[in-house]
Amino acid sequence: MILPGKRVPLPAVPVVHRRFEAHAADTPDATAVHCAGQRLSYRDLNARANQFAHLLVERGHGRGAKVGVCLDYSADMLVAILGTLKAGAAYVPLDPAYPAARLRLLLGQIPQLAAIVAAPATVELVECANAPVIDLAQMSDQLAAMPVVDPDVPVTGEDLCYAVFTSGSTGTPKLTAVRHENWFNLLNWLTFEFGLHRESHNLVVSAFGFDLSQRSLMMPLFCGATQYLMASRNFDAAMAYRMLTEHDIRTVNCASSTLYVLVDWEIASGGNALTRLDYMLFGGEPLHVERVLEWARAEGNTCTLLHQYGVAECADVATSYDLADYRSDEHDVAPVGRPGYNTDIHILDEQLRGVRTGKPGEICIAGRSVGAGYLNGSGPESARFTTIQVHGAPVRIYRTGDRGYVTETGQLIVLGRMDTQVKVRGMRIDPHEIERALGRLAGVRQAAVVVSPDGSGDCELTAFLVPTGDPLADNDVRARLLETLPRNMVPARFRTIARLPLTPHGKVDRAALLDELRTGVPAR
Amino acid sequence: MTDEGNVMITERVHAIWRRELGRDDVAVDDDFFALGGQSVIMARIQRSLIVELGVEVPVDQLFRNPTVASISAYIESSRAATG
Repeated sequence: MILPGKRVPLPAVPVVHRRFEAHAADTPDATAVHCAGQRLSYRDLNARANQFAHLLVERGHGRGAKVGVCLDYSADMLVAILGTLKAGAAYVPLDPAYPAARLRLLLGQIPQLAAIVAAPATVELVECANAPVIDLAQMSDQLAAMPVVDPDVPVTGEDLCYAVFTSGSTGTPKLTAVRHENWFNLLNWLTFEFGLHRESHNLVVSAFGFDLSQRSLMMPLFCGATQYLMASRNFDAAMAYRMLTEHDIRTVNCASSTLYVLVDWEIASGGNALTRLDYMLFGGEPLHVERVLEWARAEGNTCTLLHQYGVAECADVATSYDLADYRSDEHDVAPVGRPGYNTDIHILDEQLRGVRTGKPGEICIAGRSVGAGYLNGSGPESARFTTIQVHGAPVRIYRTGDRGYVTETGQLIVLGRMDTQVKVRGMRIDPHEIERALGRLAGVRQAAVVVSPDGSGDCELTAFLVPTGDPLADNDVRARLLETLPRNMVPARFRTIARLPLTPHGKVDRAALLDELRTGVPAR
Repeated sequence: MTDEGNVMITERVHAIWRRELGRDDVAVDDDFFALGGQSVIMARIQRSLIVELGVEVPVDQLFRNPTVASISAYIESSRAATG
């Protein structure tokens, strides 16, 4: 089964920041970014990004280099991102809300790390790295002395633009890279398919390290609109809702779990800031459609809800579905729709042969979305990028590990994972990585992490621990885990167990552990 | 600012935490995240503080003051500051 996306030609040099530069030339006085009362016009943001790019090039951090960006949401973050792209380098977002130990681990996984951009509030977090730290506050005089013209760096669509970390099965996060042409193709699709324009102002509500945040950060700059950023290190629903109320914001990109929070906030406060948006683009985890349907269908709601599917390895979004088309008598779950421009969905069996319409198989992505692969080593995940023959011609695909099928009407439905990976509040998590982190804690002999639905229908992680000696205190284990893992990776519940149940093959019997959770009866 | 006012705020914040975390064994010095708290619960607590106490506490402050005792002290002091 092949579900093809529309073929739309891209420019000969599909480089994302060229679009931004064109807007800076056409509408230099338009506001590019608005954050905590600070505004920068397209002219000023472009000039400052150019100065930063010239500094990087002067220091030899040009084409092919990787630049870590460890900043809070601010105009400076966009200066650093655009400047890095203009220098021909790729940026790696590093969320300052992460524990310092986690950031150290991530920094160690970035090959050719040329420099790390930081600010006074974040410099301490990244000083450990074996790459120079560029503190924007300290460097302000040198930066101001740099030329403001666009640097003459011949960036191509093949060059990498960013790389983000995703959870890895071997216990080490994987750094997955995206090329300019992948990202350009995505932004070009969203812009033209949904008619985004110079008034399509956007608010970023997701954490910086997420793949979806990269798209959210660049989308308004690609179409000439204003980017609104919240001066908050953590998602702040009250602040987000106030900004949506006070400003003429038209688009929001978020994880499904954030959508529920915002919708609940709107219902509780009696406002209409969400219903008057043009678009909410969301996905990244299974949608509980009943949590938003009543609000979505209320009279006066003019916001188009785009339920989307994709993976970080393939520029974040592969398919999109207008939730207005959803009929609960047709499908239990909301479809994720049809592929974007120049992107195909293949549903394949275990031998990588196509299955028929309506038959489930592995969702594989082909076309210009397919990214550059992993930058840190060749773990088992690397084999997910592979080549198949279609009508006698080789086609490069990415095997997502997600199961799904295509309906008679040509809509993709996602059924779930083929392995143990899980999404928790939009973050892709491999339970093995958490098990490794637990195994490194003193007092833990063995650990198994399982996923079960929580009270509200979302996913919840439970860790089963075999102690080396004395029983472990939940709160103590949690506190120690929080020092090394992002919060979404820390299990909600801990259970101490004498030994882990095994399957006849000697693997941890996760089904038995889930049974224990459900029934309360200890597994064997 | 009075001790009595502070005690009242602490009690109300304590009740909100117990309700939103769905557990009774919350001590005023327990860490929110060590109790299994996460961002969605944080948003509900933020909402409850607005509705029940009439204060909007930035989420960054909720993260910086992750216990009932410390966030209550923060609310008390920010109320005193704004009169």
